[in-house]
Amino acid sequence: MIRFVARRVLAAIPIGLIVTLGVFALVFAMPGDPLRELAGDKPIPAAVLAAKRAQYHLDDPFIVQYLLSMKDILTGNFGTTFAGADIADQLRLRIPVTLKLTLLANAFQWTLGLFFGIYAGFKRNGLVDKSLLLATLVLLAVPGLVAYFAAQYLFGVELKWFPVSGVLEGFPRSYLLPALVIGLLGFAGLARLMRTSIVETVNADFVKTARAKGLGEQRVLWRHILPNALLPVVTFIGIDLAGMFGGAIITESIFNLPGLGQFMFQAIKLKEGGVVVLLSTLAFVSFILINLAVDILYGVLDPRVRHV
Amino acid sequence: MSDILLKVENLSVEFDTPRGPVRAVDGVSWQVRAGETLAILGESGSGKSVSTQALTGILEMPPGRIVSGTASYRGEDLIAMSVKERRRIVGDRITMVFQDSLSALNPVQSVGKQIAECYRVHRGLSRSEAMKRAAEMLDRVRIPAAAKRVNDYPHEFSGGMRQRVMLAMALALDPDVLIADEPTTALDVTVQARILELIEELQAERDMGVVLITHDLGVVADVADNVVVMYAGHVVERAATADALEHPVHPYTEGLLGSMPSADLKGQELPTIPGTPPSLRSIPSGCAFRTRCPHVVEECADEVPPLLTVAPGRDAACIRRTTMPAKEAV
Repeated sequence: MIRFVARRVLAAIPIGLIVTLGVFALVFAMPGDPLRELAGDKPIPAAVLAAKRAQYHLDDPFIVQYLLSMKDILTGNFGTTFAGADIADQLRLRIPVTLKLTLLANAFQWTLGLFFGIYAGFKRNGLVDKSLLLATLVLLAVPGLVAYFAAQYLFGVELKWFPVSGVLEGFPRSYLLPALVIGLLGFAGLARLMRTSIVETVNADFVKTARAKGLGEQRVLWRHILPNALLPVVTFIGIDLAGMFGGAIITESIFNLPGLGQFMFQAIKLKEGGVVVLLSTLAFVSFILINLAVDILYGVLDPRVRHV
Repeated sequence: MSDILLKVENLSVEFDTPRGPVRAVDGVSWQVRAGETLAILGESGSGKSVSTQALTGILEMPPGRIVSGTASYRGEDLIAMSVKERRRIVGDRITMVFQDSLSALNPVQSVGKQIAECYRVHRGLSRSEAMKRAAEMLDRVRIPAAAKRVNDYPHEFSGGMRQRVMLAMALALDPDVLIADEPTTALDVTVQARILELIEELQAERDMGVVLITHDLGVVADVADNVVVMYAGHVVERAATADALEHPVHPYTEGLLGSMPSADLKGQELPTIPGTPPSLRSIPSGCAFRTRCPHVVEECADEVPPLLTVAPGRDAACIRRTTMPAKEAV
């Protein structure tokens, strides 16, 4: 087990280098000058501009800029944004916001997805199953952007059930609406996968064996069908969790939640390569950790892929 | 003679399909006594597995449907009783072994746990006591280092060892009847022989009735006391194994025997029964076998030939052989 974890972490290092280098190159290749963008229409004295450019190493060659950024990240010396904000402080403030949002959204998504998926799978062709099939089809067809704006307008502006945007009302009120929309959109895929997986497992030979052993229906469902049907779902949850940060960039910007996603959005807009790479590295590290956790969980659930 | 443990009478099973019902088992009757091995012989699709799955209640219903018939275990009809009552018997007094042990065992549960489950559910034993018994059972079916292997998972065993695990699970509660559905089909010949020996040995020890479903005449010849031959959902011949093998009455049984490879046939082409088994959707009128039968006469198309006794302990469903027995074999 320890060897498995060590191997995975070591394998992540070269991948991390490629990812950060690629992200940095993309930001570098973006058109526009970050400092002029920051200043807007106001003219900047040439001396100030030169000083700033030197401070952020903007005149160095690409690879030097990249290496300097990586050095900062690895030494934990994050510095300030172009606008002068301390990046370490920003992270301290923003990480909890993103965590709260994604955890709440995931709680909705898993509860709904697993509950309806399991119920529909066990009672297939029933009313719940058929309505679920239809409802998830509709949900899957709605683009996220449309759903966010529609929900914001309907429940925030018109009905006033939830705050329209911002985090002034704190947790959980400010987070409920975006989390619900993310959860609902995500639950469709999860519920469908869970249902299909159960329906496939129900016809497996070992289920026949379990019945031939004279086991009660409940025991067959919970002890034999479900543990096997959950396996593909665990994989899905892992991939889905990793995609959450990407989703946060959009939702946090729309609902004006000061989290990492919004930070990322602003950094990309301003061409702040250092911040983008820092956030990408964070996302990458959490991606590796989540994947590792999912793989270990998978091994616990399925002895055939256990890593000794 | 010993007690009749399981007696199936006039069992018919249909499947509902989008194109109307299909009869997979039609008026099948057989019985098995304590200590006896009854082989149900037939090609795939002949209804041999469906009949046993129907009477044990593990057939998916729907689409399956039991149209008629009884299956009495010591006088109690399994088909008429409630699911709850049946669960007391199936899994405890009547147990089953399936063909493909890799898919028939739960892949994410240790074999010990799966065997122990029988003791936990039917005998209410504690977890540790049940596991101890499971290890004993593994040892009983001669799995080496059973005490250690009890915690292993199905994929960690070879095919033959897995089939032993299946047997250990089926025999854990010392059942009266073991229904073995093609238990050795997925195994190579030497392993097959050892599994069959093991079944015979445990059967003798417990005076258990064994229903052996197979398509392998060699297996029948080796272990079965009596044989029921099925074709397209019907029983076409019922006899003591030795009699059936020496003097088959039904032309289908005869054809099967003729197409068995043997040393005498060396260098010759192996004879086969011409044609293929009929689709259950379009079974020929009258005798289902008549389109492939070498002895067919016009009357064969008139009605389904009844299973008639041609000699003591011998039944066959062939109008030529049962109503005109003097002319030909027997």
